[in-house]
Amino acid sequence: MLLAYRFALASERVTATAIEANEFPQLAQELEVWAVPRIVVDGEPRWDGAVPEPEFLRRVLGA
Amino acid sequence: MALLHAEEEAKVREWFAELERPVELSVAIGPEETPRAGSGDTDFGAEMVRLCEELAALGEGVTCRVEERPEGFPRFPAVSIRPEGRDVGVRYDGLPWGYELGSLVGAVVEAGRAEPTLRPESRAALEELDRDLALDVFVTPT
Repeated sequence: MLLAYRFALASERVTATAIEANEFPQLAQELEVWAVPRIVVDGEPRWDGAVPEPEFLRRVLGA
Repeated sequence: MALLHAEEEAKVREWFAELERPVELSVAIGPEETPRAGSGDTDFGAEMVRLCEELAALGEGVTCRVEERPEGFPRFPAVSIRPEGRDVGVRYDGLPWGYELGSLVGAVVEAGRAEPTLRPESRAALEELDRDLALDVFVTPT
């Protein structure tokens, strides 16, 4: 989660929101959250699990 | 019940004492509503306020502001972590309890830095970004 926050703090173009899946079950179901952390980019589920910063960058910019 | 154990609290105080700029926790408690299924008598909004006020008490540079339905909050309760009071798009939707309290503390520490802590390669790539990018990370407290 912190990596997403650091991206948002580094760029005015980026926002980062942590969403507690148990408290928003409908949204979690819509985005097929079966494992956490699940990373959603621009509303599209992308991947599950933490990855190192270079890989995170590659994945979000490749969105 | 205390939010943090004594050792954890001392550590957080240390981190907050090193903030290079003030950080505001802007809490949106949302409209009054029936407790959610499975939540018992828990008032999520009140818990969020308690949590953020307790965190704010651990550092002079950390403040807490509470509103019911401020703009920019699609879900409640939620907290926006704002360096120098500016909304820079860093938010936590839901109660960050348990393990996830660390994410909120970490967000305050990161927001309190004068310079981003990303690698130069990442910063350069983000500077080239020509569109908005919304990152949502689903988490659970355990």
